[in-house]
Amino acid sequence: MGIEVENLCFAYKSQAEILKNISFRLDEGSFLSIAGPNGSGKTTLLNLLSGLLKSTAGAVKIDDCLLQSYSIRHLAKKVAVVRQEFVPIFEFSAMQIVSMARSPYLGTFAFEGETDQKAIADALEMTDTARFAERTLNHLSGGERQRVFIARALAQNTPILLLDEPTSFLDIKHQVGIYDLLKRMQREYGKTIVAVTHDINLTIQYADEALLLEAGGNYHIGKTSDVFSLKQIEKVFGVRTFTGKVGQENFFLPLGKFAKSREGCLTADNQIITPRPADSK
Amino acid sequence: MTELLTPRRLIIRLILCAALLAAVMFVCSLIGTQKISLGSVLDGPGIAAGTNIDYDIYVRVRIPRIILAALVGAALAASGVALQAILRNPLAEPYILGISSGAALGVITAVLLGAGGLSVFGSGASISVFAFLFALGTVWLVWLVGHLAGGSGVTSLLLAGVVVNAFFSAVIMLLTSLIDSQQLRTTIYWLMGNIGERDFSTLLTSAVFIVAGILGLFAICQKLNVLTFGTKDAQSLGVNPRVVTFTAFALASFITAVAVGLSGLVGFVGLIVPHSVRLVLGPDHRQLLPASAFVGAAFVVICDTIARVIIAPAQFPVGVITAVIGGPVFLLLLARYNKKVGYQRWV
Repeated sequence: MGIEVENLCFAYKSQAEILKNISFRLDEGSFLSIAGPNGSGKTTLLNLLSGLLKSTAGAVKIDDCLLQSYSIRHLAKKVAVVRQEFVPIFEFSAMQIVSMARSPYLGTFAFEGETDQKAIADALEMTDTARFAERTLNHLSGGERQRVFIARALAQNTPILLLDEPTSFLDIKHQVGIYDLLKRMQREYGKTIVAVTHDINLTIQYADEALLLEAGGNYHIGKTSDVFSLKQIEKVFGVRTFTGKVGQENFFLPLGKFAKSREGCLTADNQIITPRPADSK
Repeated sequence: MTELLTPRRLIIRLILCAALLAAVMFVCSLIGTQKISLGSVLDGPGIAAGTNIDYDIYVRVRIPRIILAALVGAALAASGVALQAILRNPLAEPYILGISSGAALGVITAVLLGAGGLSVFGSGASISVFAFLFALGTVWLVWLVGHLAGGSGVTSLLLAGVVVNAFFSAVIMLLTSLIDSQQLRTTIYWLMGNIGERDFSTLLTSAVFIVAGILGLFAICQKLNVLTFGTKDAQSLGVNPRVVTFTAFALASFITAVAVGLSGLVGFVGLIVPHSVRLVLGPDHRQLLPASAFVGAAFVVICDTIARVIIAPAQFPVGVITAVIGGPVFLLLLARYNKKVGYQRWV
């Protein structure tokens, strides 16, 4: 199930447009990463794709049908969303949190049936969260919590997964773990994944396509290798960046004015990274 | 693997709660200023009215009063559960948020406008309508003031509740001063939360309203679970947050209004009971709400029994007893919650 976005515009009340004429088509089973500076509208775009916000112009189509044509309940069977981490007020166990994903499938007075319980068990299994299913989020690490919310999205059994900075607050081991999990979801279960991220290097390694938003509404979309070029990154983020290659993929290292390696050479995985001519003066 | 709540497990737990309530009601019905013999009660009314005093006291005085206390407790506890869920605030409660005061203001306004006398609090349809509308209006007022004061966070909503409560209390005092001196004592006692005797028809009508309201809330409990994660998450999980919030506000205000009409301002029940039940059974609203209704009923029956006998032959208003227990519990919960919020900010 793909996503189609046509000339999408959005402005918050009495403010300038944050998103201008965004158009793209995302095929079923693709992995799109949305990047951009703070305030460029990444989360806003995600909220438009999930139907939480209404665009000021343009349209979003899921499975060739306009987003507005879906009821809230029906849309929840198509699109699952993982938001930035938070701890709920009431102390639900990890399993209870995951079980709430079955909400769109339950009627009034209904309880989780066999199908629901299987979906919940599968999601806990896939995310390796079954072993702490009884614990409340207060007793879990940041990585474990995030996996619980991803498990909830998986138990929702939707073809599309939207994630807002799924690896923020996580150490590098857990960041890689989350991206591995998402890639597995894409490859093994054919999920269409859209993830907002600040980590360009991880995105390059996992996503197929990227959407780079600029402050002011401009955007670039395409294959990750095309969108994340040195020139583009320096222009959009306004920071001096060094680049190198890991295998076939580029990686980028932004360095500030007082960074130790700014004027020298960097070594990583036995590759010499040469500063651009302008930097070596 | 942990097991989720099943209908069978829920029914067993609710039967246990109902049994607890029945036991409490039975024991409390035997306690009172006038010692009565159960054997005499079981003998029946006697040949003529007034020949079996034990029977008369038990059936005409104690039983209606205990049923009334149970209804008030069930309504306030269920209302507390629903308000805590929709406001995502464990300290929300009809009394603290000013909803009870709103309903009380509605009742007094209705009385002053000639809808009925103080002796028929809760029995006049127009009084109930006034109480309900004022309660519902108060919910929105608190919510609005809370948002204007800085969002729907725990502190701003509580502060809004305190402000609205203080304002309504002042208006209630003003209106009370206009009530004639004969009814002044009854009014003040009622405002302090007073469970008196009611006729069976009032009890039956109120029971139908309260049970219907609680059943209505029970029907949306699964959605309330989801709503505790915020409106955005709720929508992503297929729940219409506006519809559920409005329904829960309306039903919670309705049963609070009926309870206030019956007993005046009985505070903290909606705070103490849901928290205690949550500690034992967990936060799943599908069992928290009905279990809290049973436990809330038992709690108010016990508090009213204490109020009846502690300074016998005189009586305390039951609101005094619930406030004495509820005040410290509220402070403990506030300290615990602030600690948790502080922790949340930094993770």
